[in-house]
Amino acid sequence: MPRHPNEISVVGAATRVTGRISGDGALRIEGSVKGDINLNGDAEIAEGGSVEGNLHGIGLDIGGSLLGDAHARGAIAVRAGAQVRGELRGAEVSIEAGARVSVRLDTEFELDFGGTPQRRH
Amino acid sequence: MAGTVIGEGLTIEGDISGDEEIVIHGNLRGRLTTSDAVTVGGTAVVGADITGASLSVAGQVTGDVTASERVDIQAGGKLVGDIKAARFTIADGASFKGNVDMEL
Amino acid sequence: MAESSVIGAGTIVSGHVRGDGSLEILGRVEGDVNVTGNVVIGASGRVRGSVSGAELTIAGHVQGDLRGTLAVLLESGARVAGDISSPRVGIAPGALARGHVQTDGEPAAVARPASAAARPAAAVARPDALRDLRRAAPAPAAPARLAPVAPARVAPARPNPPIQPSVAKVPARAETRAETRPEPRKPDAAKPAVAPPPAAAPPEPEFVPVRPLKVEPRRPPPPVVPVLGKGVKAKKKKSHD
Repeated sequence: MPRHPNEISVVGAATRVTGRISGDGALRIEGSVKGDINLNGDAEIAEGGSVEGNLHGIGLDIGGSLLGDAHARGAIAVRAGAQVRGELRGAEVSIEAGARVSVRLDTEFELDFGGTPQRRH
Repeated sequence: MAGTVIGEGLTIEGDISGDEEIVIHGNLRGRLTTSDAVTVGGTAVVGADITGASLSVAGQVTGDVTASERVDIQAGGKLVGDIKAARFTIADGASFKGNVDMEL
Repeated sequence: MAESSVIGAGTIVSGHVRGDGSLEILGRVEGDVNVTGNVVIGASGRVRGSVSGAELTIAGHVQGDLRGTLAVLLESGARVAGDISSPRVGIAPGALARGHVQTDGEPAAVARPASAAARPAAAVARPDALRDLRRAAPAPAAPARLAPVAPARVAPARPNPPIQPSVAKVPARAETRAETRPEPRKPDAAKPAVAPPPAAAPPEPEFVPVRPLKVEPRRPPPPVVPVLGKGVKAKKKKSHD
């Protein structure tokens, strides 16, 4: 893991990590990780990459495969070629059409059904 | 002008209320209330009381209708129910069964 | 096909709406909507009830489940509290959703323009496409389905293209794969499968990982790795460690 938060770490395509990853800075996963990832930074699962475990970070970009929960302080973006199964929680979660997902979204927001006098919920 | 249009293939079971024009070509079973004009098209089958500014019936309506201005039953149209309106017309070829109250 | 309907912005429907044709909801519906055509819920639309149709496009607020036989697309500004299920689900940035979102298990024969050439209805028509494919059934559409995505996502430094040669070797293990698949060790044990590059061999379902196929977790990669290792690793060694 980098010592400088500005560096991007990469788990190469031919690399498999079994175990936990944690630290500061950004991480791009092109290979496979089996274990939890806990970052004080952005994480990206590149297309072709896979994570089996929970993924915690600031911003999460999922283009590959994720089997586990993803919690982001910022936004989670699921790309069209991704496959995700788990719970996604972030300030915002976007999913590109084409992604294969079976996920539970847990986003905080309120519906607004007011405005018409006779229809209050 | 914007409004509500219920197409021919649609069925609504329930109440419709609004403040804009409503055109029905499909089916309605319930109640219809608006402050604007109501048009019941030739293919429509309506089982509901209707309240509006005006009502034009070319299809089938079973229910009481109340209009602040006028009610017109077109040729081919059919209304079974009471009319309460300032003015009304029943065209030649239309069908109507009910009472009419022109006092508003 | 039947005509289209509109529930105007100043209209409230308390009851169920069903039938043929498409429907645009700009007002309010307190009840279920079930039509055969497309449903568009405008920014001013409010629906409290479930919505079923072919392609659902949501820009308003919905409290209820959404089910699209073709697609469910949430546009910026949409607010949905309910489960979403469709073969294609899109949630644009700016849209907020809460509930279960599922793209599997929805039968649909949709030809996506993005991958029109490579994605016949077969892949999409079967809800368990992925599972079926894993049973070693040929699925030419499977890898191709991800084809349009791969090139778009491939950055210049991406190792994906160089990995293609390794995929050619994979079919040799296709049979092995079929047996070893149930192994608990598989990172994509459940559903997720890694997208193979466009050149992927047909017999291999989308389950094929881009990296070398391995059964043993701790074993060093098979000969395949060195083939791509040189080029890839060189680029890879940025800030590794």
